[in-house]
Amino acid sequence: MISESENIVFNLSEGEPRFVAQIKELGGEEILECIQCGKCAAVCPMALAGFPIFNKKLIQAIFLGAREALLDDSSIWACQSCNRCTEICPRDVRPFEIILAMRRVAVREFAVPAMSVEGLKSLYDVGHAVYLKDSGQTRQKVGLPEKPPSVIAFPKALKELQAILHQSALWEIGIIPMEGNEMADTCEV
Amino acid sequence: MVSKTGVYVCHCGENIAGSVDVAKVVNYSTTLPGVSVSREYLFMCSDPGQELIRKDIEAGIVDRVVVAACTPRTHEPIFRKALEDAGLNQYLFEMANIRDQDSWAHWGDKEGATQKAQRLIASAVAKANLLQPLQQRYVEVEKSTLVVGAGVSGMFAALDLAGMGYKVWLLDRNPSVGGNMAKLDKTFPTNDCSACILTPVMVQVANHPNIELLTYSEVEAVNGSIGNFNVTVRKKQTYIDWDKCTGCGDCVTACLGKTDNEFNEGLDSRKALYIAFPQAVPKRAVLDQDSCINCAGSHIGKEHKINAKSGEPMLAPCEKVCKTGACDRTLAHDSGGESFDINVGTIIVASGYQAMPKEPFKEYSPDSPNVITCMQLERILSATGPTDGEFHRPSDGQKPKTVAFISCVGSRDKNHHVYCSKVCCMYMLKEARLIKEKYPETEVYIFFIDVRTPGKDFEEYYNYCRELGIKIVRGRVGAVDQLPGDGLRVRAYDVDMDTPVTLEADLVALATAMEPSAGLADLGRKLGITCGSEGFLKEVHTKLYPVETSVKGIYIAGCAQGPKDIPESVSQSRAASSAAAVPLTAGRVPVEPFSSSVDQEKCSGCGICVPLCPYSAISREEIDGKVRAGIEIALCAGCGVCAAACPSLAITLQGFTADQIFAQIDALTSVAGGGPID
Amino acid sequence: MKVGFFIGCNTAFNRPDLEQAVRFSYPHLGVEIDDLEGQSCCPSWGTMPSVDLAGWSAVSARNFCLAEEKDLDIVTVCGSCYGSLAETRHSLQKDPDLREKVNGILEGLGRNYRGSANVYQSVGYLYKKIDIDKVRQSLKYSLAGLKVALQPGCHTLWPSKIYVDREEDSFHPHILKDMCQALGADVADYSRMTDCCGMGGMRSADMERSFNLLNVKLKSIKEEADPDLIVTGCSSCLIQIDTAQGQLYKDGKIKFQIPVLHYMQLLALCLGGEPEKVAGLAKTSVSGVINKIRGDSNV
Repeated sequence: MISESENIVFNLSEGEPRFVAQIKELGGEEILECIQCGKCAAVCPMALAGFPIFNKKLIQAIFLGAREALLDDSSIWACQSCNRCTEICPRDVRPFEIILAMRRVAVREFAVPAMSVEGLKSLYDVGHAVYLKDSGQTRQKVGLPEKPPSVIAFPKALKELQAILHQSALWEIGIIPMEGNEMADTCEV
Repeated sequence: MVSKTGVYVCHCGENIAGSVDVAKVVNYSTTLPGVSVSREYLFMCSDPGQELIRKDIEAGIVDRVVVAACTPRTHEPIFRKALEDAGLNQYLFEMANIRDQDSWAHWGDKEGATQKAQRLIASAVAKANLLQPLQQRYVEVEKSTLVVGAGVSGMFAALDLAGMGYKVWLLDRNPSVGGNMAKLDKTFPTNDCSACILTPVMVQVANHPNIELLTYSEVEAVNGSIGNFNVTVRKKQTYIDWDKCTGCGDCVTACLGKTDNEFNEGLDSRKALYIAFPQAVPKRAVLDQDSCINCAGSHIGKEHKINAKSGEPMLAPCEKVCKTGACDRTLAHDSGGESFDINVGTIIVASGYQAMPKEPFKEYSPDSPNVITCMQLERILSATGPTDGEFHRPSDGQKPKTVAFISCVGSRDKNHHVYCSKVCCMYMLKEARLIKEKYPETEVYIFFIDVRTPGKDFEEYYNYCRELGIKIVRGRVGAVDQLPGDGLRVRAYDVDMDTPVTLEADLVALATAMEPSAGLADLGRKLGITCGSEGFLKEVHTKLYPVETSVKGIYIAGCAQGPKDIPESVSQSRAASSAAAVPLTAGRVPVEPFSSSVDQEKCSGCGICVPLCPYSAISREEIDGKVRAGIEIALCAGCGVCAAACPSLAITLQGFTADQIFAQIDALTSVAGGGPID
Repeated sequence: MKVGFFIGCNTAFNRPDLEQAVRFSYPHLGVEIDDLEGQSCCPSWGTMPSVDLAGWSAVSARNFCLAEEKDLDIVTVCGSCYGSLAETRHSLQKDPDLREKVNGILEGLGRNYRGSANVYQSVGYLYKKIDIDKVRQSLKYSLAGLKVALQPGCHTLWPSKIYVDREEDSFHPHILKDMCQALGADVADYSRMTDCCGMGGMRSADMERSFNLLNVKLKSIKEEADPDLIVTGCSSCLIQIDTAQGQLYKDGKIKFQIPVLHYMQLLALCLGGEPEKVAGLAKTSVSGVINKIRGDSNV
């Protein structure tokens, strides 16, 4: 099922029985509606670009409790969030929500690509997932002030954003260093 | 008199015993007032079970019976019969439903379910203690049947009943009989030509002396009950005198108005004046006013204009060519048609289905003329279709080189219909096979979720299709893109290859769902029968009473009840005709003796009950110089509205007297309010 | 008419010329812009949405609060911001428990999410709120003679259920087409218009696969439409198509490079915006197209 896996045969008895329940708790409520028709996979950019895991296969792997195999594969982070699967699913499974739920599982296991951790760090530190250091010059080149009127220009607003993040699951999980959360600094990602 | 009530608790195998402590319930029952004996058995409805009851009655131990088991809907008649056989009045019987309403509903909560069973039994016993013997009534049956819908199901139901000697009214809202089957090219699994096997049946129904066709007609209202239904039928306005029309078609040729041809699923146009299809029965013309262009200024019901030069009246082309005078536009036709009443003993509803249109499925580019439904493809393949059976695609008339079928379009789909339409797998295979056999060079692909072929000779059919070279791909299509020109790109995920696949096709056929025909819910309301959540008419019991409805004397057949293929529809229609013949043959039907009666001493003659009665069974009449309510027993259906409304408590509904109901309520509430019952 | 402009990370830091385009064209059409001072990341899909629903919704709700407090709706030029904001708005609308939880978090900041503000994408907003004739009449330059191919962007389309300015048929969208035709452009169809451009998570995860995916789309554009210009409805699509073409060309995978602009940039140019400001940061040269617009097709 998972091409990189050493184990060619997946032992169904080793499936994690609570996995579906966890996915449902983390936002994949409709997972059991899936009948594996494959409609979502027909148009999924991940499937079309050749990633080993994508909506349809992810759902089946969750059904069977293939938790470890899924955590070993980072395909889910390549999801474009295009939501075409959710638009066309005849069963209202909302496959993209299952991808998000699986990412939430992975975050709790620290099984996250460095790039995504960087995005979270950047969100916390500067208030934007994407931030380019030399953007001030670029902005001035087209006649705009160095900083946009966002949290970048309003330190108090950044504090507000950080206060929200402190009250979110991000704080409990500790995947990125946050003010007052020393534990995370020592974590290897 | 103190009653001797026997309580018989059924295990229903594990159905009840798996969740209710039957021994405890039996013990408890013996403690109830009026109970003389309480017994249990694995299947109380079986002969040994019934024997327990019969023996107790015959031994004089028991004179009232309570069975705690399943639903009275299916099993009450069985136990009543046991009472009669043992010489006890069959209405001295009460049922406690401790299965559907208890063990099934509270599976896993044995203590709770056991307690609830005790309450339900206590309540049934309380009522049983007060039961009085009642005498069954009979009504005479009108020996005729109305069959609604003249497709293959309706026609066979009609022929069977007519063959038994009963008068049958066969009604259809279309101008011709034949239904959807008349549109099909060939039929699986034998590939007989649909027209070849159907048209003789159409002729048979038209010629049968006991069948009266009511085509282009609708059911307007239904009154009465089994044995005596009064049905108001509206024959829609055809604007052509069908007694004079010979179906020659000259008027159709002459007509200049045009609209989409529904018989060809909108693939071509028909005239405003039309004959439904060449093999129509009856072969009569109909004027569709919505698309009539009133040639020569000739409006329906108006005198002809006079030609200024010749002084002659200006006739519309249709009138000019009609040799029999059937087409006379000056007549004051009533646009609403004509309404009349018929009386029938039983009714069969065989109103069929409709195939979903392609428009809701935007991901499949329905705007492309080369994306069609399988029903449309059926017309393209048919010799009577818009291409005379030549395999041409709609956009440019070219013969498709590559055809793709998409399954489950609108079926197994929460946005449309969650059910499986059951016939699509086979009709796709059939259409694919017809194409492949006639044009072997055509590439045919079928995209499936699951191939479902569970019918006689179906799997063999599927295998044969594979041998023909039809390519089966497991995976629902995600998108159909329009390519420059008229081509289409089909995009799917091949589950078995584990890879996305793409196909350039000239024609894409969508296997759209079968859905209830338009207006079915409305027809159901008129008949008083219920539709299930999917909109099809609901049978009383899927297994035991598959053609009966919640209204006695009304039966269902064919796709009105749910998606079916032709063999199954015909089987069911013949089952329905058999069921509908039972009351006709018996000549009279038993009617529950649960009718209302008035205590003339208590009645004040206020008349509140009169307008409330849904069956118009009550009137105010003078009895001994005083105005009192009088109930016409033959009309009373025993609904109890009058008894509930009577301010003087003068009306009693036999079998559901106030004493009995209050005793039931007392038993339920005292037990419920008094803490644990044991 | 006034609206809150949600700029988004990529526009603010990567393509501020697009930000300028909005700041130029909206007021030209009578729509005043509010900066929603202190706005943050939407937050984008790989961040809080991938951590938990409540945290995602709270960050998003704070952005909505900035608009609500001024009684404004929000417009974005970025599909991701549009999708992330619209999806949380939808969740907050249908899930009272989530809303309570989010307001519990916001309470400490002295804010309260009410749900009064809607979010629009920049083209859809104009389509719904401004008379298309007004757009036509305001033009200084027309696109007559210019053939364009469209890239509406996944998030402007799906999941259609949650968008207030959704297309009637999300698989055959027409808003961007109508709006381009209003500028005088000749819109050429191609079969892969609703295909994903490969930006977003995929580009971060695997640039090569992302570019290969785009390549399939680019070939469909070139072969079927052969346009002078690609017009996007999304800033992410803009960046992907603009920057990837150089690499694909260098790698010998394509033999062409097609200029690409966001619709708001094209609109700004037609309204007389300075090319260096509103379209000055394109990697795939747009000067030819701009000359054509400003030179040959004077209204």
